[in-house]
Amino acid sequence: MAENCRISTTFVEYKESGKRPLNYEPKGGIHMNQITLTSGGIVIVRPAGELDHHTADSIKREVSRLIFGGKASAVIWDLGSLQFMDSAGIGLILGRMRDLGAVEGGTVILNPSPTMKKMFELSGLGSHLLEGTQEDAIKRLGGILHGK
Amino acid sequence: MENEMTLSFAAISENEALARMTLTFFVAALDPTLEEISEYKTVISEAVTNAIIHGYEEDRSGIVTVHAALDGREVTVTISDQGGGIENVEEAMQPMYTSKPERERSGMGFTIMESFTDSLSVDSGQEGGTTVTFKKKFSPVQETCSSVG
Ligand SMILES: Nc1ncnc2c1ncn2[C@@H]1O[C@H](COP(=O)(O)OP(=O)(O)OP(=O)(O)O)[C@@H](O)[C@H]1O
Ligand SMILES: [Mg+2]
Repeated sequence: MAENCRISTTFVEYKESGKRPLNYEPKGGIHMNQITLTSGGIVIVRPAGELDHHTADSIKREVSRLIFGGKASAVIWDLGSLQFMDSAGIGLILGRMRDLGAVEGGTVILNPSPTMKKMFELSGLGSHLLEGTQEDAIKRLGGILHGK
Repeated sequence: MENEMTLSFAAISENEALARMTLTFFVAALDPTLEEISEYKTVISEAVTNAIIHGYEEDRSGIVTVHAALDGREVTVTISDQGGGIENVEEAMQPMYTSKPERERSGMGFTIMESFTDSLSVDSGQEGGTTVTFKKKFSPVQETCSSVG
């Protein structure tokens, strides 16, 4: 199928997410969100499925815990497998930037969809956006965290 | 194409996904692009979330009603609640304005809704709740695509 053709968008969307429409928000789906901590003190958050007011809370709790526990000084938001996000995602990221406090610039937003990208730009987070791999994001943070 | 639907549901956050999904299926026959559909879903999510967390202050007994009508390739969607209403709509629609900064709201909901729709209007009084109406026109399907697949 040609990439830009829209043969049944809805179907393609579900097919890409590997979910069935009727199983839209599986119980425990929250566990599909991956949160990992690197030895360098970077939290890598890779949310999956849909990030809204209902699903943002558990990610918030976990990432805040790592920051306030002194274990993390930077966050990479890898949005490559996120199907949907509304302003709850912006609140989530801005909130963790606040948690990070003094650690200026310790936030990278990786591979958002075009729609998410527009939302981040409207919210003044454009300078944190990056297209690339997690390694690219870590490199960018390395420059920010140790470069001065 | 002409079509019409109404959906009412309890003001609980689980139903944000229900509203997005139902309204996505409602316009599916128009075969919007992925970007059009994700903008449309975002607007619905913003308005429904606002009704739940601001209108009803998460009082689960509130009812949110979504009405949608299709006229050709244009959809008109109305999201309404009977909650507390907005005292100053103009102020509420300013970018970054939120009455709930402590709740991790960024105050970008209305700004995002405006940017992802062709028109947006907000009708609110302190007694009668809030009604948000938006229009979005989906671009015509490219002929070249119809033979592929
Ligand atoms: N349905 C509603 N009922 C009552 N007040 C509302 C309603 N919708 C919006 N508001 C008011 O308008 C303000 C701005 O809404 P907007 O969606 O732009 O930002 P937010 O919801 O506070 O934050 P965000 O959407 O970024 O998470 C809200 O903080 C609230 O005070
Ligand atoms: Mg909002």
